[in-house]
Amino acid sequence: MPLLINREPVENDSWTLVDEDTLQQSGDIIVPLALYQENQDSLSNREGHLAVQVSGDDNIDTVLENPNQFPLIAVFFPAVRDGRGFSIARLLKRAGFTGQIRATGDVSHDRLDFMTRCGFDALEIPADRYSEEVHNAFSEFSVRYQGAEDDSRPVYRQ
Amino acid sequence: MYQYNQVDQQLVNERVAQFRDQTRRFLAGDLPEDEFLALRLMNGLYVQRHAPMLRVAVPYGMMSAQQMRSLANVARTWDKGYGHFTTRTNIQFNWPKLEDVPDILEELAKVQMHAIQTSGNCIRNTTTDQFAGIIADEIEDPRPYCEIIRQWSSLHPEFAFLPRKFKIAISGGPTDRAASQVHDIGLHIVKNDAGEVGFEVLVGGGLGRTPVIGKQIRPFLQKKDLLSYLEAIIRVYNLKGRRDNKYKARIKILVNALGIDTFRELVEAEWEQIKDSDLVLTDAEISRVQGFFKPFEYEADAANDTSLDAKLAEDASFAAWFRQNTVEHKVSGYRAVIVSLKAHLVPKGDISHQQMDLVADLSDKYSFGEIRSTHNQNLVLADVRNADLYELWEILSEANLARANVGTLTDMTVCPGGDFCALANAKTLGVADQIDAKFEDLDYLYDLGDIKLNMSGCINACSHHHVGHIGILGVDKKGEDWYQITLGGSDGEDASLGKVIGKAVASDEVADTLEKVLAVFVEQRIEDERFIDCVRRIGLSPFKEKVYAPAH
Ligand code: HEM
Ligand code: SF4
Repeated sequence: MPLLINREPVENDSWTLVDEDTLQQSGDIIVPLALYQENQDSLSNREGHLAVQVSGDDNIDTVLENPNQFPLIAVFFPAVRDGRGFSIARLLKRAGFTGQIRATGDVSHDRLDFMTRCGFDALEIPADRYSEEVHNAFSEFSVRYQGAEDDSRPVYRQ
Repeated sequence: MYQYNQVDQQLVNERVAQFRDQTRRFLAGDLPEDEFLALRLMNGLYVQRHAPMLRVAVPYGMMSAQQMRSLANVARTWDKGYGHFTTRTNIQFNWPKLEDVPDILEELAKVQMHAIQTSGNCIRNTTTDQFAGIIADEIEDPRPYCEIIRQWSSLHPEFAFLPRKFKIAISGGPTDRAASQVHDIGLHIVKNDAGEVGFEVLVGGGLGRTPVIGKQIRPFLQKKDLLSYLEAIIRVYNLKGRRDNKYKARIKILVNALGIDTFRELVEAEWEQIKDSDLVLTDAEISRVQGFFKPFEYEADAANDTSLDAKLAEDASFAAWFRQNTVEHKVSGYRAVIVSLKAHLVPKGDISHQQMDLVADLSDKYSFGEIRSTHNQNLVLADVRNADLYELWEILSEANLARANVGTLTDMTVCPGGDFCALANAKTLGVADQIDAKFEDLDYLYDLGDIKLNMSGCINACSHHHVGHIGILGVDKKGEDWYQITLGGSDGEDASLGKVIGKAVASDEVADTLEKVLAVFVEQRIEDERFIDCVRRIGLSPFKEKVYAPAH
């Protein structure tokens, strides 16, 4: 799946999203939070890096308590209209998370700029929604009113 | 009123270009229908019965003469020559072509107008009192705060995909002319014991299929905390509001499910984290924006006019209009004039392009070039000299804009209903005509006094039928239009939800039914009692008995 990191396309990505069946595979894996919590013990001494994927239905309090135990946290967007992920990314940033925040699921052109502003640095775009035009998404606006994770200063403090 | 600076203009221009590109990608098949739907709604574009419907924002109801002329031009060039003012003080065009919308928006951008967030599940136009800044009972002019909220909420990166739409209204003082208690957030400008001016904050009001009156979440909020507190409320809502059922997705449902106390705890905990952040409003920013809403340079000798009294004495029609359609201004020698968009047998809130141009000219000539729209679908020229009232009235009358019915039964608030709206269960325009035809006698209406009649074509309640003194709701019974009647609603500081009087009535019986309701009122009324007070005092039973009495 096409991946942008800091707005640039990235070819070699080491991460794989796993499910119950592929949980035991080697390498760098992203584990959905519920699955991670069920298998925390068996996952603790494996080779390779470990990340979690959270979504709006998850209680992410434990993740927020210690986010930097993960090098990457994926935030899943189940549908275009589901905007919980934007707030989740901001909460992760506020909790002091310094790793990669990756948007997954329904990620496409018209939300990329908002995602970036909310703190996402990696955007995973489904292949059928990806084209060269996607790169324009970051230059559609040259001005903004609010502060966000990219720059906390609202227009009246700039 | 507020004037765009370079940043404001740039943002609107770039939004037009973005929307043009989105439309192009949709028409080229690169953007799936359901995704374009969310994007076009966020830019005010619905697809309705006959054509797309474009809703243009009139931020907190303020328009300049130049903006009104531009709206007239849009109506003329891309629509069928008219527009429709809504209960959220915006204007809708019913007949534009999808391909033309980017051009329309580009035209509007030239006069600092846009359609940003006039629909969709995002923060909508903040509404306020149509007499803001000119009415004696206000504590402070709410418009600067509306503008501050407009800027903060426009293209907010976190809140573009909320569970459901989000509406904020601000009232500037104890008299609530903004229906603030039936908004997702209602803000009341108040003074605390220390004499500081700030906001009382209500949350969780709303109409639609589950009408709810807002609840107080904070008795007093400092001005500087306005945006951080709004952000805290909306973040909690964004994360916790229901997304599994769009009929249960408004914040009112969340507040009721959690209880206001639990909801408040969540908001206050979130606020604690951000109340000292860069969101704090600076004094400089507040005064910068306030600078755009300074009182006009009123003429000191306006109060010395004697011509008004003479005209009032000699012309009874003028005197009636003066009494009904003008309002006391805090500066003596001036009045606010309500331009009635409730002409006899004309769809309520509709205005032709000629009328728009005329109102623009009149505002230039008589009212400092500004016009306001009201949540009852009328317009206001807020700053007219007493000496000019007669002349203004004559011109408005000529243009069918001076029906002296403001505040009476026929000053109805009516949504477009089944003639235009794809969601409607019943038509509304024909019933409004029926009511107009039946209650044509103005003297009878004046005797009845203040009555607020609101009619919606379906449960979505676009015309606030639950909070009309009399509410009419169109329902569908086996393919026929029927109308359910409620009594006792109010959207003022004494907000209440009307109660249904009984089974729905057939479409040809609505006006007759109202006649019976009013007959009970006239019979039971004590002196000059208002209709709503009478309903509250005697309850629904006498009305039910009369309306549903078996025919003899
Ligand atoms: C013609 C196209 C229109 C469509 C498709 C439409 C659709 C809707 C829908 C679906 C709702 C319910 C939302 C909810 O409860 O979450 C709603 C509410 C509302 N609409 Fe409309 N509407 C239209 C026109 C209008 C007009 C003409 C007005 C003003 C006269 C208006 C003002 C409102 C208001 C004030 C509400 C809020 C009621 C509340 O607080 O729940 N709308 N509209
Ligand atoms: S109340 Fe119903 S019929 Fe009227 S405009 Fe709203 S959605 Fe349409």
